[in-house]
Amino acid sequence: MNGHPTREEDFDLYALGALEGGEQQAIESHLASCADCARKLAEARGRVAMISFAAARVEPAAHVKELLLARVRAEGSGGVPARAVAPREADSGGGIFGRWWTAVLAPVGVALAIATILLWNQNERLNREMADLHATLITQQRNLEEARHAADLLAARDTIVVPLAPMPGMPNGIGRVTYNSKMGMLMYDGKVDPAPANKSYQLWLVPMKGDPINAGVFNPATDEISHWMMKMPEGITPKAFAVTLEPAGGMPHPTGPKVLAAAIS
Amino acid sequence: MNPQTGAKLDASDAALIQRIVQRDESALAALYDRYAGMLSSVLNRILRDTRAAEEILQDIFYQLWRTSSRFDPSRGSLAGWLTVIARNRAISRLRKHNPSSGEQLDENSVIVPTNLDNVVAEKEMMGRVKRALGKLPQEQRAVLELAYFEGLTHSEIAQRTGDPLGTVKTRLRSAVETLKRTLQP
Repeated sequence: MNGHPTREEDFDLYALGALEGGEQQAIESHLASCADCARKLAEARGRVAMISFAAARVEPAAHVKELLLARVRAEGSGGVPARAVAPREADSGGGIFGRWWTAVLAPVGVALAIATILLWNQNERLNREMADLHATLITQQRNLEEARHAADLLAARDTIVVPLAPMPGMPNGIGRVTYNSKMGMLMYDGKVDPAPANKSYQLWLVPMKGDPINAGVFNPATDEISHWMMKMPEGITPKAFAVTLEPAGGMPHPTGPKVLAAAIS
Repeated sequence: MNPQTGAKLDASDAALIQRIVQRDESALAALYDRYAGMLSSVLNRILRDTRAAEEILQDIFYQLWRTSSRFDPSRGSLAGWLTVIARNRAISRLRKHNPSSGEQLDENSVIVPTNLDNVVAEKEMMGRVKRALGKLPQEQRAVLELAYFEGLTHSEIAQRTGDPLGTVKTRLRSAVETLKRTLQP
């Protein structure tokens, strides 16, 4: 992505952590060089954080605060009035032997502390790299799996391809449903103009018997190609497919006008 | 309530941060009293493990104590930052990621729709959020909560619910649009 995200909600979706792969990387690469979008993301983070208020109120136990303050005091920060300081062991006596052991062990202790910090930092870095690699691997596996399913579907002899024709007076668009009842798989590809405000497109599988079945709700951006695969319900034989215009988020049953449609001959 | 406690409760986040920078433990205690309940709620909701929630809660305020000088209250919201950090850490713990992974979050990079440093504002915002979520269709609220409280991506939600990926994307986008409209000042 060279320009700004096309829709304001992209910042909220990014802040939620819902975006992945190319969508996520596109925003990240743009944010690095755009102060306006960085501010929009900060606002989106704040909005998204407010979802926390949906959680039932749980007050922490009193000991959490006590432990926190004890930890702060143990850190030994200066400038806090009435802070109790435990006497140091080296000051408590021990004569010449105490001072001798202290002189020997102190540098060893410092060396061990430095080594521990270095190892801890290295471990943290390796853990971060492993987590990033793991996330990339999962995304790639998911993409590969979907590509395999699509290849199987397209290669099967009994797979049926249904081009969807645009309806007069509706937004421009084309679409195609590729399905295989035996494999129980359905794939949609299409490109239609963005839906009007507060509306979504919804694909319906119209079976030989029974009510239309929801096969996906979508809201494409300008020039965006919509594509997804899904499992078909068992024992269903389609007689038609249609894309309708519905209230945002889709409906349990079709209520709006057809935008694309095709009967299966 | 003694006079000192009263002063602490009235102080702004910015004033308390300034006192923490000067190593005033009572300012940290005041900020803890102000926000620990909110953070504890979200931590417990995500983790469903009181002990883990308590550990993270303590760590967050300890981090605030250690890094308070980096926080500029004029550029960001302390309440927002604390909440985002709490959620990130809880999700990381839930998904057994390294706690620091994904937490490339500048202290001043969260701006909340309203100032939350008093009880009235917090309750008002809580009411607005609950009303907004209550108005969402059930399917939209479900995907929003899966994304926020479980940290699931679009694909992971689709896998979890069995809905097509396009449907999940549309539902989540519609949900955040509604939330944004509702929370706009």
